[in-house]
Amino acid sequence: MSQLSAAVSAAASALNVERTRIEVAVSNIANAESTRGPDGQPYRRRDVVLASDPVNSFDSVLGNAKATGVKVAAIVADQAEFRRRYEPSHPDADAEGFVSLPNVDAPQEMVDMLGAARAYQANLAAIGLIKEMVNKALELGR
Amino acid sequence: MAVELFGTTGAGAAKAAAKKIAGAAAGGGGNVADFGESLAKLIDGVEKTGADANTAVNDMIGKTGEVHDAMIALQRAEQALQLTVQIRNKLVSAYQDIMRMPI
Amino acid sequence: MNEISDSAVLAALRRQMTVAVARQVAAAGNLANVDTPGYRAKEVTFDDVLGRRTGAALTATNALHVGASEGADAISIEEIDSPPRRDGNTVQLDRELLTMGKAAGDFAAAQTALAAKFRLVRYAINEVR
Repeated sequence: MSQLSAAVSAAASALNVERTRIEVAVSNIANAESTRGPDGQPYRRRDVVLASDPVNSFDSVLGNAKATGVKVAAIVADQAEFRRRYEPSHPDADAEGFVSLPNVDAPQEMVDMLGAARAYQANLAAIGLIKEMVNKALELGR
Repeated sequence: MAVELFGTTGAGAAKAAAKKIAGAAAGGGGNVADFGESLAKLIDGVEKTGADANTAVNDMIGKTGEVHDAMIALQRAEQALQLTVQIRNKLVSAYQDIMRMPI
Repeated sequence: MNEISDSAVLAALRRQMTVAVARQVAAAGNLANVDTPGYRAKEVTFDDVLGRRTGAALTATNALHVGASEGADAISIEEIDSPPRRDGNTVQLDRELLTMGKAAGDFAAAQTALAAKFRLVRYAINEVR
């Protein structure tokens, strides 16, 4: 309806994206010790790749101030090496007694998760601010 | 809004009527033409603000405009219309007063 | 006497609202992309062409005249000058939230002033005796 409502769409797109980031981080943490997945391999960390996503491109009274949203470009497997831990008694230990563990760094996942939560909150607040602004504008017409 | 109420022929008729009333009220003096002209300009102004409001609202719906611009345009159209209607009412009532005067 | 005309004030208030909207839109875009790699934060710069000319040419001869060339102001958007993080992103979350809060405040202030001016005119029109 206007660039202002496009801005709400942009913020809403961020809500979806940050929620996905949190879900992936939770999944990584939950599987941090999974030495054997369905393919017989240890769990491989997943990473969410983001890309900006313009909401629209038409001309407006705001010049080139346009709303830019965000989208998940891809969810990729982190190709970093698995961790190795010496634990000969482990059922998945190899010939030398080492176990390959998921390439998940739990503290880092927590940091990512908190960052995503914070971004989620901020975008939620942005939507509220913009809604108020539209209401104020409509009041002028009363 | 104002455009529909006056219409293109409506505005023409309103302007002609305004000039006529102004003429009768002033008794045909030299100032009448100016007053009638001012009134005609006023009605033109109302039409313009009405057209502007339509444009602004269309822009708002059609995505290139902003809400506050449309609201401001609507207010101006409303006020221009109200002002003109009040003036018309005053003129009509003044005309009626004059017509009621015994000669 | 250098009075500011009614229509100049209305134009100025309307501009303040438009600029506030532009800032809000830019900030919302930045906030949405706070975690996008390589994204550069943008901000609105507003060349107040009309404001500089206000003292001179804007006294309207008729209350119904619209103020001169309202499209003259240039709202443009530029990348901010800020060191990027490791992923190339320059968005600072708190800064954008602050910008949005300020823009919302500017917008509300202009709206309140405009509404008051409209009320004045409406009163004058309706209270004719």
